[in-house]
Amino acid sequence: MNAPRRIPPYRPRPEREVVARDCGDVACDLDWLSSPRHSAEVDDVMAFTRWAMERGFGDGLPLIPPTEARVRAFLAGSDRYPDEVICTLPPANGECTVEKIAINAVMAGAPPESLSLLIAALEALADPDFELFGLNTTTAPVVPLLLVNGPIRHRLGIPHRHGCLGGEATQAVAIGRAIRLLMRNVGGQVVGVTSQSTFGTPGRVAGILFGEWEERSPWPPLAERRGVAGDAVTCFGAMGTQNVLDTTSRRAVEFLEMIGKSAGYVGCNGLSPAMPYAELLIALNPVHAELIHREIPDLAEVQELLWRFASLPADWLTPAHREQLEAQGRVIDGRVYLCVEPKDVLVVCCGGTGGLHATVFHSFGSCIAQTRRVRPDPRLA
Amino acid sequence: MALGEVLDPTAVRADDDGSPGPAAGPLAGKTVGFRLDEIWRAWDWVVDLWAAELVAAGARVRRWRSHQGRTGEAGARIAQELEAFIDEIDVAVVGLGNCGSCTGWTIRDALACAAAGLPTTAVCTAAFEELGRQLARHGGRAGLRIHVLPYPLNERAREEVEAVARAHFPGLLATMGAELAPAAAAVAR
Repeated sequence: MNAPRRIPPYRPRPEREVVARDCGDVACDLDWLSSPRHSAEVDDVMAFTRWAMERGFGDGLPLIPPTEARVRAFLAGSDRYPDEVICTLPPANGECTVEKIAINAVMAGAPPESLSLLIAALEALADPDFELFGLNTTTAPVVPLLLVNGPIRHRLGIPHRHGCLGGEATQAVAIGRAIRLLMRNVGGQVVGVTSQSTFGTPGRVAGILFGEWEERSPWPPLAERRGVAGDAVTCFGAMGTQNVLDTTSRRAVEFLEMIGKSAGYVGCNGLSPAMPYAELLIALNPVHAELIHREIPDLAEVQELLWRFASLPADWLTPAHREQLEAQGRVIDGRVYLCVEPKDVLVVCCGGTGGLHATVFHSFGSCIAQTRRVRPDPRLA
Repeated sequence: MALGEVLDPTAVRADDDGSPGPAAGPLAGKTVGFRLDEIWRAWDWVVDLWAAELVAAGARVRRWRSHQGRTGEAGARIAQELEAFIDEIDVAVVGLGNCGSCTGWTIRDALACAAAGLPTTAVCTAAFEELGRQLARHGGRAGLRIHVLPYPLNERAREEVEAVARAHFPGLLATMGAELAPAAAAVAR
């Protein structure tokens, strides 16, 4: 005989307008946290990390034990229900609830105030047009880059000046790591199994999370140009970083030519027949951005020049490569373009004031960048 | 050292249909749909050979070419084409899982065919078999029929690929749960 079906106790939900729905950091009359509990070493980080690694929960770096008190403290004061499903994450299609975000963020060492940013980032990543499924399973060394706009950059210490892509001592590293742990633990991304990335990328440990230096940019913030003013996050499927050094150019068009021509190399995803379209993200340092803006104030013109320069003469490709692109209708007037249209070249301003360098981020291809508003977190008010 | 309780950070989908789905059965008179892609020329060569064998056995063959751009307007168009493809066939053979993302889309499209009730077989190369099986499980259908071709494949000359296709035809039929008419089966052997 089958066991009698257990009916869970009735749990009235508070009205949606209630702001603080948490139970504090110690206990709660209602058990909001529904994840299974495990018995583990909680006072010794290294012992817990070994335990977690044995179960496939970790990434190799030390992990903070996600005790109930820590997870409750992470959620305390936020205005989100722990059981709210934000998205599902491929390839495992696990349901990413606020609770799972909190647990993984605690393990990563991310600050509680980052919850809204994490949620917005995950909403962006889960948009079908971002194609996280392909990104998480591919052989390519791709990782979702997260670019933050708005005042939240300052509140969370999101790096946007010198060394913004790595090296600054900031909790942003832990925020990026929280997203990466979620990809493992909820998305089911396992190296060599569900992720076939041939080489991987360092960005798959703590992500690539940085901000735009809006105060030094001659153009409106990227997210605002994409329709979201204020606190926002944009995700972009980045194939690592490519540096472009230019110690010679003086004129705006010369800088853009150097960057565009450097971006358009034969083996990049955007010029592969395997990828019918691709975006390009160009990070200009504030010095070069200002020089370029002085001569070419219209950003659309800047994008068009970069787009034109990021193309190759078709007869420079190997015959087999060219034939495949021709069959796809991608050879136009004897040239192959990395991006289909100039609008697919995204431009941001960030980095140090030493100038000299630009950074090119090639996209995976079919992942279309997504921007989401970051809801205000009561704790950051 | 103190033991305490920690919360589980994982969220893995638990539901799963372990069934391989219906067998293709006798193929004569049925329309076998081959899903192609824009990347792997070797898969085109394999399908050419398998299609000829099936036509000789009295089946009809329909080809549909997917591509890697599954987002935005292109993605919407491809989704419509896939629906039309599913409507027009009786049996689906979906490939080729020969890279990470293309294995992903191979399995996704195969799951769409299987969900429509079609006898469905996905085709992967050996290097991507485990990924294919994992994705089928994560898609809720661990028993999905998957036929495995050797790896590397796309790097071989056409004659070599055709030899592989010829050698794998009986195995494909077995994976599909398909039957040929006796005369055609003798040719396949």
